[in-house]
Amino acid sequence: MTYLMHPTRRSFLSTGAAALGAASFGLPAGADDRKQVNFQLSWLHSVQFGGSYIAQKSGYWSDQGLAVSLTQGGPNAPVEPPVVSGTALVGISAADYTAAAVAQGAPFKIIAVAMQKNPFAIASLSANPVNAPADLVGKKIGMSVSNTPVLQALCALNDVDINQIEIVPTQYDPAPLVSGQVDCLLCWETDLPVAMTIQGVDNTTMLMADHGYSVHSQTYIATEDSIANRRAELVGLLKGEIAGWNDYLADTKAAAVLTVDMFPDAGLDLPTQVLQAERQVPLMFSDLTAANGFGWFTDETVAANVETLALLGREVGPDLWDRSLLEDAHA
Amino acid sequence: MQIWAGFMTALVAISLWGGAAHVFSESVLVASPSGVWAFVSSNSGLLVRATLTTAQNAALGFVWGNIAAVIMAGLVTMQPRAERVVSASALVIFCLPLVATGPILRVISGPGSAPQIALAGLAVYYTTYLALLVGLRAMPRSWSDLMSVYGRGSFMTLITVRARASLPYLFAGLQIAAPAAFLGAMIGEFTGAERGLGVLTLRAMRGLDVDATWSLALISATVAVLAYALVGRIGERLVGYAPVIILSPPKPPTRRNIWPGIAEMVAAALFLLLLWQVAMDVFQLNRFFAKRPGDVVRYLAADADARLTLWVALKETMAATIPGFLSGLLLGAGLAVAVILFPKATRVVLPVAVALRSIPIITTAPLIVLALGRGATGTITVVAVMIFFPTFVACLQGLRQAPQQIIDVFHTYGAGPVRVLGAAQIPAMMPALFASAKMAVPAAILAVTTTEWLATGKGIGVLMALTSTTSNYNMLWSCIVAITLVAVVMYAAVLWAERMVLAIYASEQLT
Repeated sequence: MTYLMHPTRRSFLSTGAAALGAASFGLPAGADDRKQVNFQLSWLHSVQFGGSYIAQKSGYWSDQGLAVSLTQGGPNAPVEPPVVSGTALVGISAADYTAAAVAQGAPFKIIAVAMQKNPFAIASLSANPVNAPADLVGKKIGMSVSNTPVLQALCALNDVDINQIEIVPTQYDPAPLVSGQVDCLLCWETDLPVAMTIQGVDNTTMLMADHGYSVHSQTYIATEDSIANRRAELVGLLKGEIAGWNDYLADTKAAAVLTVDMFPDAGLDLPTQVLQAERQVPLMFSDLTAANGFGWFTDETVAANVETLALLGREVGPDLWDRSLLEDAHA
Repeated sequence: MQIWAGFMTALVAISLWGGAAHVFSESVLVASPSGVWAFVSSNSGLLVRATLTTAQNAALGFVWGNIAAVIMAGLVTMQPRAERVVSASALVIFCLPLVATGPILRVISGPGSAPQIALAGLAVYYTTYLALLVGLRAMPRSWSDLMSVYGRGSFMTLITVRARASLPYLFAGLQIAAPAAFLGAMIGEFTGAERGLGVLTLRAMRGLDVDATWSLALISATVAVLAYALVGRIGERLVGYAPVIILSPPKPPTRRNIWPGIAEMVAAALFLLLLWQVAMDVFQLNRFFAKRPGDVVRYLAADADARLTLWVALKETMAATIPGFLSGLLLGAGLAVAVILFPKATRVVLPVAVALRSIPIITTAPLIVLALGRGATGTITVVAVMIFFPTFVACLQGLRQAPQQIIDVFHTYGAGPVRVLGAAQIPAMMPALFASAKMAVPAAILAVTTTEWLATGKGIGVLMALTSTTSNYNMLWSCIVAITLVAVVMYAAVLWAERMVLAIYASEQLT
């Protein structure tokens, strides 16, 4: 029943109850003092969020006085509503989704960027590879029709005539490519190609981010209200993330093992997780993060995002990004 | 004998399956029995934990949903005037697409298992309500007269007489509710649950893991069938017999004047709009995603592109729903007729049909679509399959209700089985067919939106699912309104057709 109450009232009641409990029983300071924070992930549990699991397991958030619960996403679990309503303090989104939500009136800011490079890729069989956007001409591409703007943006950025590519509507699975119904797929670098490799299908991927498609992905979003009023918690959460992802970079295999151990009920397979963990490193860590730290972004990367988002029909300004919390977290 | 028949059926099914897997071994559709066995044995711990989680949420939803149904039915029995409004509201809420209600429940409840339980409850309350409503009235007039003579009011009558008279009906409703609760809990797990069969199904489908998909389909079907059988057995023990009932809302008395009926319809619509607005205001749901009736009206009035998008998607959805709905009904009735003509087939077909109607749609839909392609055929087949089994069972019961004396008269005159069928048995089946058609409306909509969302990527189902990337919640709510209106129109069309047909074949049903 408490869940049903308005968030602000709920947090008031729970902090009130906690204070009452501490006062009447004279509890020593410790685990009970940690602030309860919900962190909404963008998809089902997998090593995609490996750094966060390390932060949880290694107590990096406890050190910041936070008790973080990681809520997984899913096909029917959108990220933006719980963040807007305050049920979750931070959500994992992507610059294009965030821009769409802001256009619908959500008061979001992007406060850190986990994936410097967008994970969208064109996957093809190595016998008939797509290595550059020009190779797409005359090919059949399997993709969800809702992703057409993504392909249009790639074509516009690389002077390719989209009318010379045949779009075949498919669901998100590798079968049409493997069975030869299409020549290539629009998918994430870190899922379908990984699944194909594990199944022994020789494949080639072309990362769209290497051809001008600049859309920050796995971005941390928070509301303007939280940024103003819950700043310490946000900075603490980011500090935990930074520490967790630095450990992740040091040993991706350990992150995969931890993920499989932490979620025995998720049906995860270790070899797939290990490969996925390796594959996402170049997306998340770059010269920029080596110089400035995990999650970093600059005026230049933001400007490139604003440009690509405009091609996707999302008109945003650089004020969608707010680096101040990340600066505090790295300070 | 029945066990023997069941065993033989299972044996035949497994050998057919093995043969099919052999024939289609090149394709990625059919898992072989050995592949399924390998998956189940190497993941047994995981599967047991997932099954227990889903079963627990389903059981809790089953309890809550049925409590709600009992309260509503009791209320309506004591206050018959409220019936139209309560029944219409119950139908509309039952028709709400689970694809849309899931995320909203998740946001209201936060992490935990509340959405799974709520969706399981939502999946069961309507059928129990209908069964109970029939049951609470299945009481001889003389009993209620006796109660009035003793000066007892409607509440005491409800508790002491009606409640007991309704028990067999309650159990018939609960039996249908058991597999439905399981399906509801699985769909609820799509809203970000940590564990359960629904979560595993999702991963298996995304990874195109055929062995896993088939294993999960088999496990969930087995659990659903067991739940169905268990509730049936408990009911038999407690009540002693299972009544042959046809689930259909009891018919209100016909009136010459149509105005009171229209007034009640308007009252039901206003009540629902008020419920929508007030529920959101009470929970203080954020307007970003929790749109109010006024928001939807303003959005659709202002945005011509949105109206067009909605219309195109709705047409796509209806192009699969209507043919699937009609062919499911025709096939169900057709097979029932065939079984009557060849009575020996019954012993094999009936247990299989009862088992198959309990299989959760979300595990079968992707398999059917994989087999038949992502075009209209796949979706139409899923809808037809979803409707086919309950229709078949109900129609078979209807065919058998043809009075024996009438059939004897035909036999005396030397009429053949086809003649008896056309002149006596099929007219007796008509009420059962229309009752199934009414229950099939929400089932068809559930099937079509779920399939579009999970498998084909077309129509209203996918338009609703796209909201998670576009945050266009105005469109999501417009879809909900549109799909609900479609359900109401389809329901009204069935009512209309029923009056037309029954006026010819079974005029006594129209009193």
